[in-house]
Amino acid sequence: MHNFNRRNFLKVAGISSAAALTGVGCATNGMRGADKAHVVVVGGGSGGATAAKYIKQFSPNMRVTLIEPNATYYTCYGSNWVIGGFAGMDDIAHGYDTLRDDYGIEIVQDRVTAVDAAARSVRLAGGDSMGYDKLVMSPGIDFRYDDMPGISEADADRIPHAWKAGSQTELLRSQLRNMPNGGVFVMVAPPNPFRCPPGPYERVSLVANYFKQEKPRSKIIILDPKDGFSKQGLFEEGWAEHYGDMIEWRAGSAGGRAEEIDVNNMTVLADSGFERVRADVLNFIPAQRAAQIAHDAGLTNDAGWVPVDQLTFKSEMDDNIYVLGDSSVAGAMPKSGHSANNQGKIVAAAIVREVSGQEPINPSSANTCYSLVTPDYAISVAAVYQYQDGAMAGVSGAGGVSPSGASSSFRRREAEYTRAWYAGITHDIWG
Amino acid sequence: MKKSHLYLVGLAASLAMAGTATQALADDEITRGQLMAASCKACHNAAAADSGVPDLNRIPADVIVSQMKAFRDGDRDATIMDRHAKGYTDEEMEAMAGYFSRF
Repeated sequence: MHNFNRRNFLKVAGISSAAALTGVGCATNGMRGADKAHVVVVGGGSGGATAAKYIKQFSPNMRVTLIEPNATYYTCYGSNWVIGGFAGMDDIAHGYDTLRDDYGIEIVQDRVTAVDAAARSVRLAGGDSMGYDKLVMSPGIDFRYDDMPGISEADADRIPHAWKAGSQTELLRSQLRNMPNGGVFVMVAPPNPFRCPPGPYERVSLVANYFKQEKPRSKIIILDPKDGFSKQGLFEEGWAEHYGDMIEWRAGSAGGRAEEIDVNNMTVLADSGFERVRADVLNFIPAQRAAQIAHDAGLTNDAGWVPVDQLTFKSEMDDNIYVLGDSSVAGAMPKSGHSANNQGKIVAAAIVREVSGQEPINPSSANTCYSLVTPDYAISVAAVYQYQDGAMAGVSGAGGVSPSGASSSFRRREAEYTRAWYAGITHDIWG
Repeated sequence: MKKSHLYLVGLAASLAMAGTATQALADDEITRGQLMAASCKACHNAAAADSGVPDLNRIPADVIVSQMKAFRDGDRDATIMDRHAKGYTDEEMEAMAGYFSRF
């Protein structure tokens, strides 16, 4: 019996696909198996919200539930603008109304406390359980406070990490505001790998911009366990041009490795105890690992991150769980919001194709990362990635950082594009 | 004829003229071109258009391809698109570009 549905009609009519009929708004892939599947997404950040939205774009009839503890999500990217004093928390705040109302995603404001992979269900802090056909986890990072003697997570209300945006961002901003002119801001930078590789160095840039205007006798010291960092040459060029010798970066091999933090005296012990660095404001960004829920679900490796099949971001540990964003091991892709956004699309396509009985697509992906050195001077790094030999690898000949020695108008254009990037990517994720 | 039908006729006609676009529409499944186009939309969407980043949904496929080639080959001034464009073959550019007219 011939089923003369809309699609067949369109083929008869000479229009090549039913997708044309849906026209504006989204491109529809009408896959029958997909209509019955229920996808649960854990985490409403850049990775999880993108995955949820693009599943609905690719396959609008699929049931998608997004579980996120917070009604408002504050992006980590852009939080340095708040810390630098030229943006407010509202500027980096995003909600879930559009995903719910316009895309039909079920939003559950709760926290996942356990994953029962055998039963294909998650347990919520509120007490309920929820079944899934496919689980997407984009839970982000947690910190390794145990790696640093003298400090614990409970001290974060005095010594902020400000590496998850929200109240921590506001705390660090307020401490900087209250710091006297002539004070010392000390950042203890994290070891690799960590969320947002250029982030610490953008942060000190924008703190320096604030100090230059309001507290010009102040000083900034970065104690770094590493001997190099993202966009280093460009940051140092910008620092020399705008901040003179206000910022001092100490490499790990030159005494920069912090060994203990004396919380009560706001002092960092470094260089085998020979160096005691006293701070008026101390920003300790701890070493990182995948968020606790990924560990509890048994998805992590010995290094504390989640290994995945980088073709689809399916967990190596479980066939029905996909893990993306900062918690995953993603080859050459950095732990950035842009990477998480791109991975969300790869996961969305992989799930829709899998439940439709189709082979995965060999993905191509990109990262674009801007850092402000001043509000009007930005630098960037870009890359294009393809899946090669079992991992996401950078396409040779593409990508790289902004040119050194570029004109101030070039840097200014990149600062304008920084804001455009933020407007664009947050719209792509939550809008 | 209802307005929406007129729109469809117009859409079909415009797609028929853009060869790459009809190619991308031939499969009733997510294509690699579609996934690559989705990647571009992180920046190139309506929200960023006010800041001088073009919304690719509004750019014809042949213009997207010609400009990507110009960025790649150094024939058009750029801050970052030259670095991105070098990551794609002609075929990939055409597959991506053909997709935006679907959104």
